[in-house]
Amino acid sequence: MPRTKAYVSSVGLTNIGDHWEKSILDLAMDAARAALKGNPKAKPDQIIIGNMFSAVAASQEHLGALVADGLGLTGTPAYKVEAACSSGGTAFNVGYNLVGSGAIDSALVIGVEKMRDLEPEQVSMALAMAESAEYTQFVGATFAALNGLLARYYMEQMDVSRDELSSIPVLDHANAVTAEHAQFRKAITPEVVGRSSMIADPLRLFDCAPVGDGAAAVFLTNNPTHGSKGKMAEVLGGAISTNDFSIYQRDDMLDFKATKNAFKKAMAQAGMTPGKLSLVEIHDAFSVVGALSLEAMGFSKRGRGSKDAKDGKYRRGSELPINTFGGLKARGHPVGATGVYQIAEAYLQLTDQAGKNQVDGARYAATQNIGGVDTTSAVHIFGRAA
Amino acid sequence: MSIQFWRIRDRYYRLVGNKCLSCGAEFFPPVYKCKSCGSDRLKDKEMPKTGKIVTYTQLHEPLPGFEAQAPFYLAVVRLDNGAKILTQIVDSLDESIKTGAKVSATIRRATVDGDTGQIVYGYKFVVQD
Repeated sequence: MPRTKAYVSSVGLTNIGDHWEKSILDLAMDAARAALKGNPKAKPDQIIIGNMFSAVAASQEHLGALVADGLGLTGTPAYKVEAACSSGGTAFNVGYNLVGSGAIDSALVIGVEKMRDLEPEQVSMALAMAESAEYTQFVGATFAALNGLLARYYMEQMDVSRDELSSIPVLDHANAVTAEHAQFRKAITPEVVGRSSMIADPLRLFDCAPVGDGAAAVFLTNNPTHGSKGKMAEVLGGAISTNDFSIYQRDDMLDFKATKNAFKKAMAQAGMTPGKLSLVEIHDAFSVVGALSLEAMGFSKRGRGSKDAKDGKYRRGSELPINTFGGLKARGHPVGATGVYQIAEAYLQLTDQAGKNQVDGARYAATQNIGGVDTTSAVHIFGRAA
Repeated sequence: MSIQFWRIRDRYYRLVGNKCLSCGAEFFPPVYKCKSCGSDRLKDKEMPKTGKIVTYTQLHEPLPGFEAQAPFYLAVVRLDNGAKILTQIVDSLDESIKTGAKVSATIRRATVDGDTGQIVYGYKFVVQD
């Protein structure tokens, strides 16, 4: 458990979408430079990169040294952290533990993913590598398929309707309209979700996060004078947990144990109760995953995640807004970068830099980043720096 | 790539999972440590070939190598010994594929290895009439 205070002192984001003109290094550089610019007084002691499949999408590994070289920071320890779609949150957690323990004073954490250079079926294959090659890929199952299995089970067991399941994608799109870095800035209705093309019955296209390129970077430091005054967020807690690898191995598929345990640990570190949170960025790669995540963190009762979202519990202006820039469905989900986007968004909220998406008076925020179907979950808690 | 499939041919052809020698729990895929009691004492064991559908989906956009089979059904099946397996459901009427339906194992062509063209066979399940 961290012993020294750790702060996020600046962030950098690219828009998410089609970056045909940019390589994976270009994207990482854009986000990294923006984050470093907001933090001119310090150089990072380490560069930590969250990325899932640069080898597949860009024939590129060794991203750490590549980015260090690009930034003119050769000599700096730099490496990649991979934990599927939770690579970003996991990379941040490594940085947080290093800075918080006093082993290093600062770190630049970058999440980056290049997805659009691949054909759609190649993206499915790259994502499926987060699942068992021998028993999941072997039967032809994509991630959408696993989530389709989960969604049917959830709807049948908990009596959840099509419109209720659509409520989190609808919320995401509503929030993304005013989010500059979001991939899809257009509001949708439950009818649009319910009419979109079938991917893995009962999941339709608008239940699923889109494919996009993007990079986000955050500067982590234990020095409260590094950033500009009022532009610092304190990291109050952070934890990672893992679940039985594949959903079909689990006693209870609807119990997101990784998220539940990571959230519990992170909140204990922060010494905080869930009621104090001003906002939560959740990992809704699929509508059903968003619902089960809300339940695992205890914001909704079992079976109530989508229903509560439909009742307005999580929309902007409510007591606990979620996905304030559009979440995975509308902000986008450049997989290994997503966890760092969430953290950058929490930072923007806690430093009053969220523009039209600002949650007024936001004091505390949580981010939850999943790899697999809740196979890995990385949760962090942030507070407005005193 | 093909050697990856060859290595576990018994698992694919005969549904060989494993059984915990301490508490008797059975698993497919096989586990390294018993998920029920934590024991390391496990032994390979052929699974029963029948079970029930826990949940299912019809997949329209499958992984590369499976396009010719799409759309196809996938299900989580609870075998009669309690082990849960992810499998395709084939040769069954659409309306017969539902939660709770009884299914039994069969051997089918699973995929064609992209690099070598080798045909890989494995388990799939059929709804019992």
